[in-house]
Order: sequence, then structure tokens, then C-alpha cells
Amino acid sequence: MNTNLNWSRRDFLKTAGAATLSALAAGFPRAVLSNEADVEKLKATADTVIVLWMGGGMAHTETFDPKRYTPFKKGMSADSFLSTFPSIDTSVDHIKFSAGLERMASVMDRGTLIRSYTAGDLGFILHSRHQYQWHTGYAPPQTVAAPHLGAIIARTLGPLNPAVPAFINIGQRFDNGEAEELKAFTTAGFLGSEYGPFNIPFPDQAADTVRPPRGMTPGRFEDRNKFYKKLLAASPIGTHGSDYQRESLLRSMDNAHRLLSSPAAKAFDLSLEPLDSIRKYVPGYQPGQKFEAKRDRFGAKYEDEMVGRFGLGCLLARRLTEVGARFVEVTTEYIPFLNWDTHENGHTRLEAMKKQIDAPIAQLVLDLEARGLLDRTLMVLASEFSRDALIEGKPDKKVKDQVEVPEKVEDPKHYGMHRHFTDAGCVLLYGGGVKKGHLHGLTADERPCKTIKDRVVIEDLHASIFRAVGISPKLAYEIEKRPFYVTRDGEGEPINELFA
Amino acid sequence: MENALSPLRLALGLLAVNSRWFKSSFCVAWLTTTASVMALTPEQLSQLPAAPKHTVDFAREIKPILEARCVNCHGHGRAKGDFRVDTRDTFLQGGSSGKAVVPGKSAESYVIELVMGFDPDNVMPRKGTKLTREQIALLRAWIDQGMKWEQDFSFARSEPLNLTPRRPKLPAGREPNPIDRLLAPYFAANKIKPSKPVDDRVFARRAYLDVIGLLPPPAELESFVADKTKDKRAQLIRRLLADNENYALHWMSFWNDMLRNDYKGTGYIDGGRKQITQWLYSSLETNKPYDRFVAELVNPTPECEGFTKGIVWRGVVNASQTPQMQAAQNISQVFMGVNLKCASCHDSFINDWQLADAYSLASVYADGPLELVECDKPTGKTASPKFIYPQLGELETSTNKGVRLDHLAKIITQREDGRLTRTLVNRFWQQFFGRGLVEPVDDMEKPAWNADLLDWLAEDFADHGYDVKHLIQTMLTSRAYQLPPVPLTEQTTTAYVFRGPQVRRMSAEQFRDAVGALAAAWYDKPAAPIVRSNGRTNHFAAVRAALVPADTLQIALGRPNREQVVTVRSSTATTLQALELTNGSELAALLARGADSTMARHAGATNEKLVLETYQKALGRKPTTKELKTACELVGQPVQKAGVEDLMWSLAMLPEFQLIH
Repeated sequence: MNTNLNWSRRDFLKTAGAATLSALAAGFPRAVLSNEADVEKLKATADTVIVLWMGGGMAHTETFDPKRYTPFKKGMSADSFLSTFPSIDTSVDHIKFSAGLERMASVMDRGTLIRSYTAGDLGFILHSRHQYQWHTGYAPPQTVAAPHLGAIIARTLGPLNPAVPAFINIGQRFDNGEAEELKAFTTAGFLGSEYGPFNIPFPDQAADTVRPPRGMTPGRFEDRNKFYKKLLAASPIGTHGSDYQRESLLRSMDNAHRLLSSPAAKAFDLSLEPLDSIRKYVPGYQPGQKFEAKRDRFGAKYEDEMVGRFGLGCLLARRLTEVGARFVEVTTEYIPFLNWDTHENGHTRLEAMKKQIDAPIAQLVLDLEARGLLDRTLMVLASEFSRDALIEGKPDKKVKDQVEVPEKVEDPKHYGMHRHFTDAGCVLLYGGGVKKGHLHGLTADERPCKTIKDRVVIEDLHASIFRAVGISPKLAYEIEKRPFYVTRDGEGEPINELFA
Repeated sequence: MENALSPLRLALGLLAVNSRWFKSSFCVAWLTTTASVMALTPEQLSQLPAAPKHTVDFAREIKPILEARCVNCHGHGRAKGDFRVDTRDTFLQGGSSGKAVVPGKSAESYVIELVMGFDPDNVMPRKGTKLTREQIALLRAWIDQGMKWEQDFSFARSEPLNLTPRRPKLPAGREPNPIDRLLAPYFAANKIKPSKPVDDRVFARRAYLDVIGLLPPPAELESFVADKTKDKRAQLIRRLLADNENYALHWMSFWNDMLRNDYKGTGYIDGGRKQITQWLYSSLETNKPYDRFVAELVNPTPECEGFTKGIVWRGVVNASQTPQMQAAQNISQVFMGVNLKCASCHDSFINDWQLADAYSLASVYADGPLELVECDKPTGKTASPKFIYPQLGELETSTNKGVRLDHLAKIITQREDGRLTRTLVNRFWQQFFGRGLVEPVDDMEKPAWNADLLDWLAEDFADHGYDVKHLIQTMLTSRAYQLPPVPLTEQTTTAYVFRGPQVRRMSAEQFRDAVGALAAAWYDKPAAPIVRSNGRTNHFAAVRAALVPADTLQIALGRPNREQVVTVRSSTATTLQALELTNGSELAALLARGADSTMARHAGATNEKLVLETYQKALGRKPTTKELKTACELVGQPVQKAGVEDLMWSLAMLPEFQLIH
């Protein structure tokens, strides 16, 4: 596999520059540094960022911040349980995980765990709004289209390898409820679509996204391009002169063709991965296995049947990192009431969710480490907020309860964390210059299990991610003549204690 | 007492800014020092740059410094710290910290102390680049020499540009189209000899795409080219404008972008947003006069209230995004070419608009009094309903919202509102010529590169009953429109010289419809029921791109998510677009359908005949001998389906296809 990482940004600009120039020539979109002089230059400790997105609200007490465990008992009171799983040891003495995360526990010594992430107060708690805020750093709505974290990094740093899109988004389909809301932040916004997400909704079909259209042989694909070039050369109109529209069009076609025929495109093809290696990410994987559970509301079996899909996404992220990806997001996928969005059957469904993530994330850490890539790759596991059995929102800022919780739990389906809790949350970081085996932040051991030390907000988390890749939180892009900062109002502060 | 308190309150207010866009420290300049003029220490005196000996020139040496570094907060209607540099008199008056200057004595002038930055907590300017020593030296010399000011010059907020109607005299000349008469002196002044008009094929392609958004069908094109009538171009424009269905389906996209209307999107799911599709389609199909079109949107019926109702997001939104504020922002931007977005949170840093302006307009739409909220902090002040330009008339301060809206609509659409007409004229000019008479098109307080042209067109538009089709007819029958395409180069705004229409790129919808015509493959059915003026529902010759929600292909090609008003789309080609065009399933499926139908029509015919037809449909011309040979080779003999698909793909990828020359 071609692992040439020596493509510099300058090389990329040489090839993609005309598009940008043309945008400037047209006076739109005006996405230029407005404050270059004011921005301090940071030394990057990472070249690549991988966000592992636990969409739907991952309960901290059921995953990386376990509290007192109370097993299910018919008729138990709803306020009697803080965790529905026992805790387990990790490879770091003072850090415990919730059972079901044994593989991840074994690699805790490679990463930093934040237990004090606190989501914003956006009133009525909605997944898509908090996801918007997590991904853009701004609370929706904004008067201009805010860019996704990945787009900001793509715009600021460019691709690491020009044959690999700078912002790759794996695992999210856009045909569910709230799909429009997801689209609103899964975008480069005003930065322009050049920096937008390269969406791979189905990791097992990733190769299709960089392959000739279905049914077209590679030979025909090459021929088609040759004929196109010939017809282009023969076209009498607009073959001379230097029009930017024309140039950017031709260059974009060349870029696409180069991407599709580049050796790096093989990274998208999971069928080239040895079976035993895939099985480290997806235990028991069968070649050609499909992940096509029916998306019934409250489908209790859904999460079980989808175990493996996220694993393939992680494997794809590793392969892409090897060939020089800049920003990759892999999601367990946000679908209202599914995956981490547990409004009932929380306990049972979390067993499956942990199965979805445990092996692949641990394996991704180990694989990147074994390849010498972990040091320059920042992995970030996060979710829009946490969950609690009783509290909706924050203890002191109550919002409307969205889930019925009976006082006495008679049915196992009420055993779990079903309300949206925003006063604590876990973020895991690996590689890219962060400390190893480090714990940041603390939550209370009794309900409310809220942050009591070293609160982390999105601006500062983003500033920390930006610090790792060498971007100042005060960097701004100009839109409609005003500065739009990469962290809200330029006020994000990197959390320096996270870094080694 | 009130007077004595006010500077303090002002200071607190400013401290509370904690701006969305700038640090709070930015604003508090003249207030934080307790004593006004303090003598400099001998050490500080020794650090002052020596004033140059020459007589300084205010206009050339001082004005630019004040303009760049001072007036953002102390001019253009702003008076941070009660200090204004508008005129020599206001400069001399000083601010709440006392006198700013002592004419003749720069070393004793507080302004010099501040720009020197002796007190690190109190440096001017607060934000942005500090003054250089050379600039400070110049300021010293200017003060020492008595602060000479340019006669009648002021940095105060100036009368708004492009607001009142003006009817320039139409220059004499033989050109039949007024645009060309107005441009003649411009071309002469810029030493431009207008080139010969483009040929019939290029003109027809432009006209079809610009008026109805479709490629010229081969038969219509050939009969147009063969036509010997003298004014056949004007006739063509008239004929295209008379195609009400396709005219409406093309301009739907333009207005949907501006009015944030779509079939799907944030808010629709739970009633927080309302479509205006039927109203918009009908308005376009019947060519509703623009003043009525705007009046209905400003003071809406249930059919079109979606525009001013805005998007109600679930959960807490910041104060600058309440539905009333959205209405204020969008009315100002879309109809008046004014950006109120900054001012809906705090006094704008980029233009002269202030928080109170935004709230005054928003409160027209409010059900009760609106309190001004500055960067999400209540100010205790209440807005009174006003339009942003009181010059156009006082708004009735009725407690009845219906009365206010009715009056607002009248103010905006009155004959004396020359901004409404200019803004639309400018948008259309931008659509057809690639660049506005005023740029950016949403900043109508900027001067036009040809004010006579803008003003005359705006008046003519109003004179003709705000008839949008008349405006299009005027523009598209001008010689200017028929000039050869001008390549888009790295032209800066100031250096812009009009030489003809710029090369433009097809919009997402134009491309999709062009491929639709080439492949005879349209969408299945419209996303919303639309009743046409003939009473039939969803009865269209073709279900075009504007009638359906954006699909992957349209999104890749730049059809925007309509959560924000979009008045100009980016036309830059991107790699992600090219990828979608190269291996996207939607385009591939269209081409496969196209190959099937083309082959069915040409069953048994030669590949040459098929190639000829495909070239005619895609590019509106015959292939050259060389093209014919290459294309026949690609298509194969007997004709291969893969070959036909690949030919259509190759033609659709050509700049000749995707660009509007």
C-alpha cells in the first residue's frame, strides 16, 4: 500500500489552488483569514484526527464513569440504580470502566479520559441541536452556515495526501428522522463545498465511493476518461484562454479522476483486508456480511444486529489514516430512538452498544500504535451528552422530561439510563500528543452524578483538538465581512493538562 | 443626576457586550481611565516619535489613519465613550474622559498618550493593528500644526446611498436599447470598443438558460438560426418569457434560495416552518408585479406567511434568531440589500447599523413590545417599531400588528423607495452578467460601478408597473448582454471594468435539467402539490429539478440547504462535485436511462446519426469531423449502450456544456 505521507500542503495547493482562486475572483465565498497576524502559531502534535462519534447520548455511568451498581430486581425503585453494570478494572489503576468494555479497558494506558465534559444549555434537549453544537462549536441556529469541525480542519490544513479527501465521514445515513438537522452541520457551511464531508454511509461499501460507477469495468472507466479528454481537446469553444470557471472545472475533474485511480483509493476497499484482521474489529465477521437491521422504533434487537458495522468503520478509518487521511469521523450512527438513544431497554441495548464499540476501538488504538501512527493521530471518542435514569438536563436547570420513568421498575425495559443528562459526559482521547493513562475531571458518586471538578465545555475541547493539529482557537474566517472564529468568539482555551 | 449617571451606564452596557464577534475589551476605551489628561513623564515624552517637519496633508496623510483606526467606534454614527471624530469640532469636544486633543500641543494630547499605549490596559485602537510610529508622528505633526480639517468633510453617518429614486437622462444615441445608450459613455471613458455580438447559437443558449433554465431544443434552435427576421433575438426573448411554466420552474430556485423555501428541511417536521411553494409558483407563473410580490411577503396571507414566520427552532435560540429578528434580517437583506445580521446582536462593526435598528424592524413583527437584547443580555430598553430607513416615511406606531405590517409593506413598496427596485435590478444584472452593478449584491449601500445604469433601470422597472419580465426583456435584448463572454479573472472589486457578461456555471438545477433533456429522464413527481393557473394540479411538461427536494447530485452541485438566505451561489467547481459527477449513482442512472431511450429511437440506425443528435441536444451544434470520428469510435458500430452512456457523460462533463458562455 502506498503510505507516502510526504505530500505537503503546498503540493495540494498547486493542484487545487485554481478552484480557490476562482472563488476569490468571484468574490464568493469570502473565506479568508481575517486575523492571520493575531493568531499564534502552534506546533502540531497530530496530523490526523479521528472522531469516534457515539451519536444519541452515551450514558457516562454505563460506560467510562461507572458508579454504584444495582442489579435489576422487579419492583426496584427508579432512583435506586446509578449503573446497571458492574465496574471492571482497566490497565490504569485508578480508572474503572463499566463491564462490557474489557478490550478498551486493556488499552486505557494509551489514552486520556475526560469525565467532566458538559454539554451546553440549549433548552429543550434535542440530539441534533447538541450534535450541531458539538460539531461546529456553535449553538444552532446561526445567521451563517457554520462549518463542521472536519471542514475547518480541511480548510485550514488541507488534505494530508491530495488523493484522500480531507474530511471523511463514515457511517451516517441521511434518510432518518432528523436527517435535515444532521445535514445542517454535516457541511463545510460558508467555507464552501470543497471542504465538505466525503460521506461514506456504509463502511462495507466504501470502495464504491471511489470506484467507477457500479457496473463499469476499470478498463471502460479509463477509456471513458480518454475519450472525454479527446472530445475536450476537440471541442472548439472555450479551449483557449484562461477562464477560471473552465480551469476549476477541468481541475476538479482531474482531481476526481486522480483520486479514483490513485493507489490510495485501495484504502477504501475493505475486501483487501485479511479476514483475521477484520475479525479483530468485528469478531466472527463473515465475508460479505451485511448489516441491515430493520429500523423499527424502539427495536430492541436493532443494536444487536448492527454489531460490526461500526467496527468496519473503525477499520476503514485505520486504512485511511495509513494513506494520509486528515480528518475522519466514524459514527455508531445517530437514528432517533436507536443505538445510544435509549429511551427504554437501556440496559440490554447498552450491552449491544458496548459490543459494537469495544473491540474495534481497542484494535484501532493498537493497530495505529503498531504502525507508528498513533503518536501523530488524535483519536477522540465523544457523544452529544450523557444519560441518567431520572434527571433530564442539568440538576439545577430542569427541562421537560421526555421519557416516562415509573417510580417502581417492574419491567426490565425500564432498567437503564433513559433521560438526557447534560451535566457530565465522557470523552476519550488517544494519541496525537495527549497523556497516556491520564484522567481529567471528576463526577459525583451519588445522584446527581454531575461534574464536580475540571469542567470541560465544547469550546475548550475543540481548542484542544485544534491545538493538537496546530490550529489556534482564535483563528477566524471572514464571512459577510465579519470574523467567524473556529471556537466560539475565539474564546476556546486548549486544556493543556491533557497533553504530554 | 441622570446625566451624571449616563456615562457609567454606557460603560456598563459596553462592558456587558462580551460580543459574539469580538472580545469585550474592545469597546471600553475612553471610559476606563479616571483622569482625563495626564501629563506624560519625561521618560514617556522621550519615547514619542518626533513629528515630521513638513506641512501635513489632512486628506492624504491623516484621513486614512482615522478612517482605518478610529471611525469604526468613533464615527459613522458611533460614539464609544461619547467621543466622535466626525468633524474637527467633535474631535475637539472630546469624550467622557475629557479633552482628546490640545491643538498645537501634541505632547499634551490624550489621544497621543492612548495611541502610544503607555497604559497597557488602555490602548487605542482597542482592536486590530496598533498605530505605527510613523502614523503617530504624523498625528503629532497634524495636532502641532493646528489640526487642519478638510472643508465640509465628516466621518458622520452619511445619507444612505441608492435609496431615493433618481432618473438619469438617457444619453442620445442610435442604440435602440437604453442599456447600451447608458453604457456608451462608460465604454468611451474606459476606452473599450465593444466587441461584436455573439453568434445566434451562443445567444440562444444563453437566453434559454437565463430565462427558462433549459437548453434550447435542437429543432427550436435550428429554426431560430435559420430565421432571417431582423429582431429575431428580441422575439426569442419574448417567446421564452411567454413560456410561463418553464419560466416559473426556473426562477423558483432563485426565489427559494432567497426566501428559504424548500420541501424538506429543519423546522418543517414539527410545524416550525411553513412552505410558500404554491404562492411562489403562482406568483411567478402569473408574473405578479414585484411591488405586490414584496407587499404580500411583508404583510402576508397564510399562503405566503412562511417567509416572515421564519424557522422556529426547537429549544433555546439566541436573541438574534427569534422569528421576528429573522423577519427583520431577511426583509432587509432580500428586498433592501442590507445586512442586519451583526446589528441584531450588537451595534455592527462592519457597517453603520445598530442594535436599535434591527430591533425596531423586528418589533414590527412582534406581538408586544420587544426589549433590546445585546449579545443575549437584556438591556432594559424597548424598541419602537420602525423601518430601517425613516427617510422613507414614519411607520404608524399602532398596537395593531396588522396595521403595522400593512403600513410597512406600503413603505417598502412605495414608488419613492428606490432601494427596492435597485436591489432587484442589481440581483438580475448579477444573474445575467455574472457580477452585480453593486457588489456584493447584499450591500446596496455601496456605489454602483455605473450609477446611471442602475438608477435608470430601477426607474424604468417601476415605471413599467414593477414588471419583472419587462426588466428581463430590457436586459436580455441589450447589446451588452450579447457581448462575447468575459473570462472570470482575478479582478479586484475596485479594478472592475465591465466588458460583457462573465462566463458563468450552470446551477445545480440547470445542470440536472440539461441532463434531463439530454437523457429524456426527469423526476417522477413534484414534492408538493402545485395548482397551476389553469386549475390543474402538478401538471407539468417535465418534473424539473426545482420541483423536488435536493438529491445527492443537486447538493453536490451546490443547491444550498435553505436554512440561511442565499442570494448568490458559489459557482466554483470542487473535487467532491467532480467525484459525484464521475462515479455518483444518480447521474449514472440518468445516463443509463438516456442510453436506452436514445438507442430505442435509433434502432438500426448508424452510430453517426446518433452522435449527431446527441451533439445537437447537448451542445446545440454539429460535431466537427474530428469530434464525430472520436465520438463514433466511442459509441461503436453497432451502437453499444455503454458507448452511448459514455458519450453523454463526456459531453456533459465538457466546460462547453456546463458553462454559460
